[in-house]
Amino acid sequence: AGALEPRPYKPTDFRKFYDRGDFPIALEHDTKGNKIAWKVEIEKLDYHHYLPLFFDGLCETAHPYEFFARQGVHDMLEHGGKKILPVIPQLIIPIKNALNTRNVKVICTTLKILQHLVISSELVGEALVPYYRQILPILNIYKMKNLNSGDGIDYSQQKRENIGDLIQETLEAFERHGGEDAFINIKYMIPTYESCILN
Amino acid sequence: MAAVEAKPKSVRRAKYWDENVEEAYRFQLAGYRDEIEYSKFHPQEVIDRWPHNNYIKKLKRRNDGLFYYYNKERECLDKEIHKIKLYTH
Repeated sequence: AGALEPRPYKPTDFRKFYDRGDFPIALEHDTKGNKIAWKVEIEKLDYHHYLPLFFDGLCETAHPYEFFARQGVHDMLEHGGKKILPVIPQLIIPIKNALNTRNVKVICTTLKILQHLVISSELVGEALVPYYRQILPILNIYKMKNLNSGDGIDYSQQKRENIGDLIQETLEAFERHGGEDAFINIKYMIPTYESCILN
Repeated sequence: MAAVEAKPKSVRRAKYWDENVEEAYRFQLAGYRDEIEYSKFHPQEVIDRWPHNNYIKKLKRRNDGLFYYYNKERECLDKEIHKIKLYTH
């Protein structure tokens, strides 16, 4: 019924802000070493404002928006520390929107970001548990999408773009960092998931 | 002149990865030869490093003073190693 078909998405706020030059980042055409040059120290940024905006950009597939959103989120998670936890509720809708595009590339990027998110700071994994209802249904749809190519080579495995594997990794990261309620809540949304800790 | 004094004695290309190469990679991405040159441009500054492995965390770019942030773990990929120059003073 087209559950796996990519769906159109509206232009994101991220794109609008980027085009207007509202982000404290340098707009460059050659991004050396895949890095963003920040105009302001990340530690001094208002996470409540910027982190949801960068997450909003995860829906993007076009360059340069896609790169800056992905790398911006990565940098902010890597260097955010304690500032990340209070922003979690604001991240759920952008995450849900990104997964809902049902675009395989966007989903893969978002899954890697989710894996990074749960290890970014203490208690973040636990703070996500109440939001599994929003995030996990899409993962349930794609969980079994793991190509059986016989003895052929599935190149997505080398590029870490195999969606079935990434979902498994993400769920395991959720379980490991989500505290004691994590497993039962994952199992409720994704019945085929088996614990990576209990067994 | 200070610029002449700070000139390194010799230079060689990195052949394999180690922590010194990682350090040089981080400086050279931001546009500096090494820590000595960085401290010449920003004399007052203490370089921000990750506490667990002492890798560089943050540098100001040479041209425009914008900030580059570096990851907790190794960033210099194998394909980049041959581009890294190691200076001796």
